[in-house]
Amino acid sequence: MIGIVLVSHSHALGHAAAALASEMVSADAAPVIEVAAGLDETTFGTDAAAISEAISRADDASQGAGVLVLLDLGSAILSTEMALEFVDPDIADRVKLTSAPLVEGLIAAVVTASTGADLATVASEAMNGALAKSDHLGDVETSAAQGDSAPESTSSSGSGETGSLVVVVDIPHGLHARPAARLVAAVNQLRPTTVSMTNATTGKGPVSGGSLSAVTTLGALEGHGVRFDITAEAPDAIDRAKQALQALADEGFGDRPTDKPETQQSASTEVAAKPRQMGSGIGIALGPALRRREAPDLNAYEASGDSTHELERLQAAIDEARSGLGTLIEHTTEQVGESEAAVFFAHQALLDDPALVEASQEAVVEGGSAANAWHSTVFKVACGFESLADPYQRERGQDVRSVMHRVERALLQIPETDNSEAEGILVVDELDPAIASTLDPAKITGVVSLQGGATGHGAIIAKSRGVPVVTGAGERAEVKTGTLLGIIERTNEIFVDPDESEQERLRDLMAARSESRAQADAAALEPAVTTDGRRVLVEANVTDVDEAESAVKQGAEGSGLVRTEVVWEGNAKAPSVDEQFAVFADLARAMPDHSITVRTWDIGADKPMPFFPQTPEANPFLGVRGVRAFRADPTLLVDQLDAVCRVARQIGPVRVMFPMVSTRAEVDWVLGLLDEAAQRSGDGRPDGLEVGIMVEVPAAALTASQLAEGLDFVSIGTNDLTQYVMAAERGNGALGELGDVLHPAVLRMIGMVANDVPDGVRVAVCGASASDPDIAAILVGLGVTELSATAASVAEVKAKIRQHSCPELQDLAHSAMQSASADEVRELLV
Amino acid sequence: MAALSAFQAWMSDFAEVIGQNAEHLTDLDRAIGDGDHGSNMTRGTSKTAALAEAEEFDNSAAYLKKVGMTLVSNVGGASGPLFGTFFLRLGGALGDAEDIDAATFGKALHAGVGGVLARGKAEVGDKTMFDAWSPALEAYDAAVTDGGDLQAALQAAVDGAKQGRDATVDLVARKGRASYLGERSKGHQDPGATSTVLLLESALRTLA
Repeated sequence: MIGIVLVSHSHALGHAAAALASEMVSADAAPVIEVAAGLDETTFGTDAAAISEAISRADDASQGAGVLVLLDLGSAILSTEMALEFVDPDIADRVKLTSAPLVEGLIAAVVTASTGADLATVASEAMNGALAKSDHLGDVETSAAQGDSAPESTSSSGSGETGSLVVVVDIPHGLHARPAARLVAAVNQLRPTTVSMTNATTGKGPVSGGSLSAVTTLGALEGHGVRFDITAEAPDAIDRAKQALQALADEGFGDRPTDKPETQQSASTEVAAKPRQMGSGIGIALGPALRRREAPDLNAYEASGDSTHELERLQAAIDEARSGLGTLIEHTTEQVGESEAAVFFAHQALLDDPALVEASQEAVVEGGSAANAWHSTVFKVACGFESLADPYQRERGQDVRSVMHRVERALLQIPETDNSEAEGILVVDELDPAIASTLDPAKITGVVSLQGGATGHGAIIAKSRGVPVVTGAGERAEVKTGTLLGIIERTNEIFVDPDESEQERLRDLMAARSESRAQADAAALEPAVTTDGRRVLVEANVTDVDEAESAVKQGAEGSGLVRTEVVWEGNAKAPSVDEQFAVFADLARAMPDHSITVRTWDIGADKPMPFFPQTPEANPFLGVRGVRAFRADPTLLVDQLDAVCRVARQIGPVRVMFPMVSTRAEVDWVLGLLDEAAQRSGDGRPDGLEVGIMVEVPAAALTASQLAEGLDFVSIGTNDLTQYVMAAERGNGALGELGDVLHPAVLRMIGMVANDVPDGVRVAVCGASASDPDIAAILVGLGVTELSATAASVAEVKAKIRQHSCPELQDLAHSAMQSASADEVRELLV
Repeated sequence: MAALSAFQAWMSDFAEVIGQNAEHLTDLDRAIGDGDHGSNMTRGTSKTAALAEAEEFDNSAAYLKKVGMTLVSNVGGASGPLFGTFFLRLGGALGDAEDIDAATFGKALHAGVGGVLARGKAEVGDKTMFDAWSPALEAYDAAVTDGGDLQAALQAAVDGAKQGRDATVDLVARKGRASYLGERSKGHQDPGATSTVLLLESALRTLA
């Protein structure tokens, strides 16, 4: 666990703040907080020597996990920087100073650190510590709006004409980044006419219509009214502006859904659905490191001290960033795809945003250096995004940060690494979806992500594209471009500068994996039958049509899991029965001769949905999630069942399954809802409809014989079952080794379910474990007959099953259940 | 000059001057800051003045570094790390040189002021002690280029520092506690620039 140092002028303030923060966590989970405050109990002041001792003590207690220093102001900052020069350089490398607010930042840091989070995570949470407060008081967006109201008030000086226009936003996601970018471009073309905007429904605003970041902060959702207040020099200019804005609104700001329902995800994650170019898929790579640093060290910036010169530098850096993005757009469009390049268009639009550019220029004029002015201005805008309620818009903070770093690199004259040409293993601070979806798998053979876990969004996208990823390798931060790296995804291993024999071993491993991969691919479309004739159905988890089509090509025999909450992720409004029918029907058509499995809304815990607000809970994973969420009002669930029944009648076979079921009473309740839906669309349950439940809750596993009575199948969600059996929350990095599906306790429980269900009820596994051929082999040995994996791993899972007989797999499963630990089970797999 | 004893004299003189001016410094700081510059500097410099009696030093570098650390740990406000860094770097640059002339001391002065700059990240015009240090250094260099000895160079530095100090009156503070006042910091002389002048005047009296 990381350590925390608190530096303050006041002994009383420092110790009181530490006490306040310590209240937040239990004493045995609390991180060490060292306080260096005051010259003595009553004299205000800071002492670099005392701070350096506090840092050394905290470092000692944290056992090298890192130290976060929170500080108040003035000499606290100078003294702490000085203290870093006094401590051992090795220790100093593990220390991070943060400008986070002292009290809120400390509390956020203590709480986050107590979960075992790494230094970067704790630092980022501390930095966001005041967001809840600014969100509550609503004063952050106001200042953003003020920042760009200046150009308006100046240009509308004199006896200008004014006019206004109200339109209704009728696009599904509201005025999010893409339509807002169209609108901003149109407004800026009207210059010198100026337009300010107000959300007439919520009263938010006014903000400048010429600023992308300001417009998106209006939070204009579908159905909201937006008022444009137009100021121009002549009446006809007012009319022209009104016509242009009305026309744009009429065409849905360029964001009207086409007749084909689009997968509703952010621009950057849509990409995951269409892996045009695939990587090796062998999970191993050997090659030179390509170190890419997103955030440069601004301390290296040498200010000229002359604001005219600084303004020129800032403009040059922005221009360079814009042209760099242009090149990136060309490469990405050409080599990856047009929709993948869209995120970089949005980045370019940010470079024209007055809230970023003009506000930074003002900060330079007020005496800041170009680097500091840009960083502090843009950082504030990014924080503004991150404090918004809508998760889609919150994600845009990442785009703003990305642009911020790009301009900073230009200011520091750090050349952009052109990944489109370089070949090797990409080493990044954090693998975000934009990097993951735009890398060229033909050249980037692997990725090392220094922060974040294997289940992060970027990592999932890269893996789905067949590019191996190892994560959480913070200590490798100093790897330089050109250093030879070897990585093995499955064991999350990194070899820095491997010697000849290690290289040889990796090459052999790669050759063997390529060979077996090639064989598996060649037989991908064949069924998976054990040597003694047992057929195992191998399906894929999908979220959209492209993914479904691609999965079928890779050998998937249908889909064992359609995560509906992911399909409509980011939607402000729940989809109608018609919309859902259209999506499910398309998916079913994309997998002809097979069946898809629609999981009803699995909302709650780590999957909040904007259209389904929930009250915060102390233990969300033990709270109102899955079918539990619909006890009070089953409307959303009923709509979904109506759509599924219509698919079964009109399109073809479909399965429906209910998540987070614990009791037979719940099974009876959802079956009742299903029967009512079936009655509405026809007479009784349609022939093509099969019904099942997810088994994730230990209670459901223990009573599977009763719960599964009358059902067609049960599907084991191994991730959730593991966290509930082991009482180890999935997202908690400190418990990573406990939450292991291979723990004999979890395997025994799966075996029990397979053994206990009534005859004729099929047992499936959907979840990460089904995608690992070796684990899949154990699952089949435990009695599982259907596996739903990622599309990319279907062929190998099938190949693995074909190699063994049922008795062999049963023996393997038996030995695994008798093992003492997950590690022992892993040894069986070697 | 025999360096070590001269530097000890410098510190003892500086402590005395600070003591005499403590009230004035505090008044200046009260107008635009937290009103503790005089008492902070008195606390720090009285400790440095006592150093020479408390222990033996091998050379001036060791002595000046100890002065620096003493200021760092005892001043309390931003002047602690700033003056502290000045003396640490000054001592570091002098090394074990015992015969100090205008050029040697100039190099050390550059190192010390470089430390102040790196520590405070201030620029000219921010209304900080750097507004005194910067013209002082320029004047010192010019005097050395013109063939001036240590006395002439330090005299030039004092004159430069005074001009810089006086110029801070009309500035709006952009660094330090005074920056919270914004425009209201105008019309007040910067306390850090004031004590910088005192330090250089003391150097002129004791080193040259």
